[in-house]
Amino acid sequence: MKFQIEDVTVYFPYDNIYPEQYAYMVELKRALDAKGHCLLEMPTGTGKTIALLSLITSYALSKPSNPIKFIYCTRTVHEMEKTLSELKLLHNYQLQHLGPAAKILALGLSSRKNLCINPTVVSAENRDSVDAACRKLTASWVRELAAENPRIPTCSFFENYEKSASEAILPPGVYTLQDLRAYGKLKGWCPYFLARHMVQLANVVVYSYQYLLDPKVAGIISKEMQRESVVVFDEAHNIDNVCIEALSVSVRMQTLEGATRNINRMSQEIDRFKATDAGRLRAEYNRLVEGLALRGDLPASDAWLANPALPNDILKEAVPGNIRRAEHFLSVLRRLVQYIRGRLQTENVEKEGPVAFVASVNTQAGIDQKMLRFCYDRLHSLMLTLEISDTDEFLHIQTICDFATLVGTYTRGFSIIIEPFDERMPHIPDPVLQLCCHDASLAIKPVFERFQSVVITSGTLSPIDLYPRLLNFNPVVSRSFTMSLTRDCICPMVLTRGSDQLPVSTKYDLRSDPGVEKNYGKLLLEMVSVVPDGIVCFFVSYSYMDGIVNSWHETGLLKEIMQHKLVFIETQDVVETTLALDNYRKACDCGRGAVFFSVARGKVAEGIDFDRHYGRLVIMFGVPFQYTLSRILLARLEYLRDTFQIKEGDFLTFDALRQAAQCVGRVIRSKADYGMMIFADKRYSRHDKRSKLPGWILSHLRDAHLNLSTDMAAHIAREGIKEEGSQMIIKVAVLDLSIACDST
Amino acid sequence: MANDPSSPVKLNVEFRTIKGHKFTKDGTKQALLNLTQDQGGNYIFEFENFPDRNVCKDFVASAIALSGEAGRTVPEKSAVPIQDEQLSAAEMERRIKLLQEDSDLQKLHKQFVIGGILSEAEFWATRKKLLEQNYSRRPKQRVALKNDMWSTKPLADGQSNRVTFNLTPEIILQIFAEKPAVRQAYLNFVPNKMTEKEFWTKYSRAEYLHSTKNVIAAAAEAAEDEELAVFLKQDDMLVNEARKKIRQVDPTLDMEADEGDDYMHLPIQDHGLPRNDNKDVLDSQYEPYRRSFSQHLNQHAAVVLQGRVIDVELGDTRSVAEALARTKHAELAKDASDVYLDKERLERISRMTEIEDLQAPRDPAVAPLSIKDPRDYFDSQQANAFSTLGDTVSGAKQLKCSVSTREAYCSLKECISEIKFQGLTEPTINSEVAFKVLNGLAQNISSNKYHLGRNPNESILDSLPKITREELLLHWSSIQELLKHFWSSYPITTKYLLTKATKLKDAMSQIYPKLQEIKESVQSDLRHQVSLLVQPMLQALDAAFAHYDADVQNRSARSGERPNGF
Repeated sequence: MKFQIEDVTVYFPYDNIYPEQYAYMVELKRALDAKGHCLLEMPTGTGKTIALLSLITSYALSKPSNPIKFIYCTRTVHEMEKTLSELKLLHNYQLQHLGPAAKILALGLSSRKNLCINPTVVSAENRDSVDAACRKLTASWVRELAAENPRIPTCSFFENYEKSASEAILPPGVYTLQDLRAYGKLKGWCPYFLARHMVQLANVVVYSYQYLLDPKVAGIISKEMQRESVVVFDEAHNIDNVCIEALSVSVRMQTLEGATRNINRMSQEIDRFKATDAGRLRAEYNRLVEGLALRGDLPASDAWLANPALPNDILKEAVPGNIRRAEHFLSVLRRLVQYIRGRLQTENVEKEGPVAFVASVNTQAGIDQKMLRFCYDRLHSLMLTLEISDTDEFLHIQTICDFATLVGTYTRGFSIIIEPFDERMPHIPDPVLQLCCHDASLAIKPVFERFQSVVITSGTLSPIDLYPRLLNFNPVVSRSFTMSLTRDCICPMVLTRGSDQLPVSTKYDLRSDPGVEKNYGKLLLEMVSVVPDGIVCFFVSYSYMDGIVNSWHETGLLKEIMQHKLVFIETQDVVETTLALDNYRKACDCGRGAVFFSVARGKVAEGIDFDRHYGRLVIMFGVPFQYTLSRILLARLEYLRDTFQIKEGDFLTFDALRQAAQCVGRVIRSKADYGMMIFADKRYSRHDKRSKLPGWILSHLRDAHLNLSTDMAAHIAREGIKEEGSQMIIKVAVLDLSIACDST
Repeated sequence: MANDPSSPVKLNVEFRTIKGHKFTKDGTKQALLNLTQDQGGNYIFEFENFPDRNVCKDFVASAIALSGEAGRTVPEKSAVPIQDEQLSAAEMERRIKLLQEDSDLQKLHKQFVIGGILSEAEFWATRKKLLEQNYSRRPKQRVALKNDMWSTKPLADGQSNRVTFNLTPEIILQIFAEKPAVRQAYLNFVPNKMTEKEFWTKYSRAEYLHSTKNVIAAAAEAAEDEELAVFLKQDDMLVNEARKKIRQVDPTLDMEADEGDDYMHLPIQDHGLPRNDNKDVLDSQYEPYRRSFSQHLNQHAAVVLQGRVIDVELGDTRSVAEALARTKHAELAKDASDVYLDKERLERISRMTEIEDLQAPRDPAVAPLSIKDPRDYFDSQQANAFSTLGDTVSGAKQLKCSVSTREAYCSLKECISEIKFQGLTEPTINSEVAFKVLNGLAQNISSNKYHLGRNPNESILDSLPKITREELLLHWSSIQELLKHFWSSYPITTKYLLTKATKLKDAMSQIYPKLQEIKESVQSDLRHQVSLLVQPMLQALDAAFAHYDADVQNRSARSGERPNGF
């Protein structure tokens, strides 16, 4: 359908539109008009993504004189694919109505691991080794050598891409990662470098959060994006965590050992170069004297992760004299590693601010703050000079330099925590030094400053006034929409007691109580026998899930559950989890029915939809609080309290409840869908906890469903399914008719 | 016939001299097939493996069945009555298979076709559907795997240190399917390196070690015994398989791809999820010996979901292992570059992305139910009533199978208005007769239902002596068959149909007294119920006779007018 919002004609690929989608678009349009940032909460299952896409593309189409770029950030690659296929649908519709004028270029961007089509490279195990394998074939010095010696392998796709030079462009259209690979294969061009290049020219770019938030990645990928861009962070309820992680580093014993190996290797290389090609090292020195920390134009294939500090904070000065020489720099690194090693020997937990740490480094190792700040760039320059292409081997020293640069740059919002062992396993020494960022606003600040509109949106942003404080920005629009419903398509319940009327909870004192474990198992057993198709269960942590599943196995409960449905489980191995999910969907598709055990805050809870028959019921076992004894968390809470006046308890509850809401929200994707939600913990019945749930769940939570026991919940589930079934009668009647026709 | 390569004499025996066959059970020592001859001689064949034997066994069985039947009517085996149609071998095979699968059908076939009342073609003509169904290669319904994990809970007897594991062929199949490394090890080790028993003992030992969750002990034992190590280590084959499979998963849930975008090498990645990966308490040398329950759980569910992929009789462990290895291999080989799969995947994604209730309604996706034989589901009488109806309503429109609601409604409306306008075309069967038949049948259904409904354990039939019951059922089905053919031959338009009807009528009249006989032979207390059962049959027969007589009279009256017949 086609309609006007003020002066913009919106092309929307469906015949109908939900009222909240319309309202969402209106607010979004106002924010774009005001060239300001906005914060929008809209329940899952209301077609948020398509509303966003269709308004922003229509807005861009209506202002052809001043084209805006649209940068869409997703948390995961599979969400990227989903978004792009929705965009494809929309684009086709716009083409139909506007003709070639609507042509846009939209593409997804991911790492080499997901885009490479060179079979020898892509078979490598993880991202770093794929990157390194690529670099071994495409680095400028490798190609120079290969020009002389044809026996040195290069990547034909990259060579072809380079040869085509300016001709290597993507025709307009919408490209998913798969489409990019297919196009690359067709043309014989490297899809990764093609995509990297096209990102600058594209109308719509879809990529992961980190490409904007992590300064290391943003520095090389998103440096040249124009100001007239609209940046959208979808599913942004965890954006503060991503921001914090982008600026945090942790160093372990293994890191130090690896770093020492790296340093030795580099010093060997230096010796070799001294003997064979001393000019190179001298050239580097001269360049550094001239103040070029990093040469401006590097070939794309040589580009490495950029400086971990935010662009505005990077010193625009010459590299200090005492680390210009390669040998001197290496000895500085040696001393730094030695110093950190000494700190890790501690017996007690230590916590200090960056200022104190830098002071102590200065006195004990003789490395001043400025040297620390330049560590990363100096290392980068050295590695290029030494022509090191197996960068995956050098991750350790990179981590050390990351750490040095960050700790030398920032004085506030960070703390350094050294723990000699894990809190829960005090007898096992596992020292770790963590540089934790507490201030989420740091990483996102450049994004707010650089782009004219930043849209932060999700299904769960409650309480919505907290985010502007956490991220330190002023939205021009901040709204929370409710769901307009013609029927109850969600049915949330709070289960507080098991079938034996004893309370259930994952609270610390009740957690390992066999009675609670049994009650939880009984609950699931009741549900698998009542609810058809797919059921998803979320637990509070991996260890809790492992423990309870094992205990169900031992008591035979699991066996009984398996008589109704197949059981799949999330593990920390992503490959295995992905396959389990794939099988889970197959089991739901074929009618066998299945249960999926998953972890709140885990990868599945973050990004996988369990819509329609893939999830008729979701059970949240317990309240997914963070591990409250974690030093990092405590330090962050302290910082939040001091800086933003956010109470610890409030933040913890807010954080736990947004995770819970996120988990249960996975079951619904459209209003034609139906899903039940069980919050199985007595703590959910308390008002202070419950009220933190987003409005669209609360509005469906009836008072009668606030304090249920297992058998009552089973009864409600049975009724709910029956009612849902009666709505299916029309469909079944059609089916009957066709059978009758078939048999006569 | 098979030849013995070692003997110079070629064996050639005609099938009609073969009376029966016996064979050894799968999984026993030798794959034998024993053919017994009319005159008392025996031929014993030894096969190299069971699948080969089974193929021959099936062939022999069908050949014997056929030649047995053929032997009675016509002397030659090849002369299975073929009248007006040339049968392809495949067609023949299908029929034979159907007969083998369904003993009732076989009885009927024997009685009528071989008894000469119906021709082969006629017999099968009414069962076209059955044949077609089989033709479309409906996969044989397979029993799914049990969703039951073989819990390695050993049975310890408390006193001694003995631990017992129970292994059945079913469990072995499951182990092989879930743990390809064990399967591979079996193929490698047995019987060259160790006996089957040793193999399973070793396996059980490994399982026991796992169940104690003592990783260090497991590693220590594995270091000493390389065969045991195979079981204790992680399954490399599974890992490889997973790597291949991951390329085919739906990209909208491919979490592995996310790893590629993860530039933060941090332990706190999971947003405050406490890290609790039991940390590297142990040295990396023990790493391969750690196995998680969840991994096992996933693998198990995947195998159950896949179902029974092999069609080998359990028992012979080796052939099971080989068959599994083969199917796995084929499966992995074919996928690599399947364009079709890609396309299907894309379609699925685009379907998933659409918001269905914002879209104008589409035709509901209607899939025909997969019912092998609808008669299993509807009462057989009802089905017959349907089919006779279908026969009589000439010119009924062939309906499309998948119709939208609107279409169905429109066509229904059309039909009704057509009937309203024209009236029903002259019914071919006397309406009273039809009514009577229908009534009789309906009564039978309802009375049956009445009794059956009351007490499911006490059907009338069950209370009868076994012989009577079987006889009754046999008569019942043969009457059904005959009636079906009888009614379907009306209206009589050719001489052929006339003779057919006469033949059928004669056959029916032979059954008639038999029914009476049964009725009288049973004990008095049961007589009433039996007569209740027999009554509808008799009525149906009476109706048929009446119709026949009326028709004959009609015909003779008419043929008087038109002496040249049709």
